[in-house]
Amino acid sequence: MNRYLKLVNFEFNRFFKLYIVLVFVTIIMQIFAVILESRRYVREAEKIIYGEMMSKAVFFKNYEPFTMARIVQSNWFYWPIALCIVVLLIYVFFIWYRDWLGKNSFIYRLLMLPTARLNLYLAKATAILIFVFGLVALQFLLFPIEIQIMKWIVPAEFRVDLPMKEYTNFIYLSAILPGSIIDFFIFYGMGIVAVFVTFTAILFERCYRLKGIIFGGFYGLVSVGFFLTPLLIDSFLLKNYFFPVELFVMEVIAGTIVLIGAVWIGNYLLKYKIRV
Amino acid sequence: MKGLITQGGIPMIEVKNVTKKFGRKEVLKGVSFTAEKGQITCLIGINGVGKTTIMQAIMSLIPINSGEILIDGRKLTKDSYEKITFIPDTITMLPQMRIGDAFAFMADFYQSWNQKRAEELLEFFKLEETERISELSKGNTAKVNMLLGLALDVDYLLMDEPFSGIDIFSREEIANVFTSHLIEDRGVIITTHEINDIEHLIDKVVLIDNGVVLQEFNVEEVREKDGKSVMDVMREVYEK
Repeated sequence: MNRYLKLVNFEFNRFFKLYIVLVFVTIIMQIFAVILESRRYVREAEKIIYGEMMSKAVFFKNYEPFTMARIVQSNWFYWPIALCIVVLLIYVFFIWYRDWLGKNSFIYRLLMLPTARLNLYLAKATAILIFVFGLVALQFLLFPIEIQIMKWIVPAEFRVDLPMKEYTNFIYLSAILPGSIIDFFIFYGMGIVAVFVTFTAILFERCYRLKGIIFGGFYGLVSVGFFLTPLLIDSFLLKNYFFPVELFVMEVIAGTIVLIGAVWIGNYLLKYKIRV
Repeated sequence: MKGLITQGGIPMIEVKNVTKKFGRKEVLKGVSFTAEKGQITCLIGINGVGKTTIMQAIMSLIPINSGEILIDGRKLTKDSYEKITFIPDTITMLPQMRIGDAFAFMADFYQSWNQKRAEELLEFFKLEETERISELSKGNTAKVNMLLGLALDVDYLLMDEPFSGIDIFSREEIANVFTSHLIEDRGVIITTHEINDIEHLIDKVVLIDNGVVLQEFNVEEVREKDGKSVMDVMREVYEK
């Protein structure tokens, strides 16, 4: 346990600099998006009201009020989110390959640590999850700040203050910040299983190299297939026989089995089949 | 040290009939030899005969196809890494680390890390803790690599080509390590394709060619009985 935590700390520190860059890029770009969109709206509103001598009552009749929804749809707002997602997706692979690549083969050291090799696997997975949930938490923390900035710029009469659920309902945001606790567990539960399955597929490649790509790909397909089995059987064979809650329970069980399978196979590969 | 459970009670590394294939190529074809604690055993053979593969197999860094490897009569487990270590021919620390960071890493993970000895070795090799690994010369990188292995209080040390590509002064310094208290009482397996540097240091030779052990002999015994040097035996064996 102790060495596992030390490994988590070590893996965290290895990515920390880049992570801080991601955090700052997100903060700066999103706040920039808030200021840009808010000021643009106020400027346009004033131009119409004062330029065309339109009364505010007529303006509100003809034009939409300003909401956070307008901000979250702006490029400046979602580009940093996309950047974080892409970087973390790449890092799911790089967190393993960086130990083999380069002229200093750090994988020798890692595999020769006097601790269960499974700890390497779990520590890397934990680090990835910390990074993901850290960024999700950052987004949650940023929203109130962004709303406050928006309120400072856009006068109350020009805006409608929506509850957060209303503007996180866009496709991309609803995937990152699901509307309900259940959705949150479903999305991130699936995400966690996907990270573990990817890790094990990577280990197949690291153990068997070229052949391992095929093994890893096949293993990934079997895992996805197994996970989807309850849904597929229900849709195609049983013609929607189960209640959604029953399907949900079956999916949780299938996901848990896939997760345990990924860790078990990963452990086996690291213990008996891995090569430097 | 605990666990002297071998035939005859001598602590040793036993490599028994080990085979290893990479794809269709059989790199090890039933390799067997022993390396006793307190002795320096040298695996000799030209490049590509499987010397490094044997070391990696002993450390469980590659899977073997058949055979068995025992350390003091037991198969390698995670705890064995407190008892045996491997110094590959490239450094196994992150390039951005300073030597001091590497020490901290080792101290964090190994109970067998001996900080006092590490500092002693640092002085012996004339290195500074503040030096960054990526900025070290080739010779100094090899020294740090060796230092990280030698500063562990382990029974067995495996060294892969510690002299390859290193300047003459660094070679001398590294060779001096073998005659010092740093090696005494430990079991050492060293690979080389150039015997000249270390002929006077080694106790036992395992000649390997094409994945098989051609001969295993005690240097002192051969010298005393037959009046032959390691080179003489090598000439005989390889010319057959």
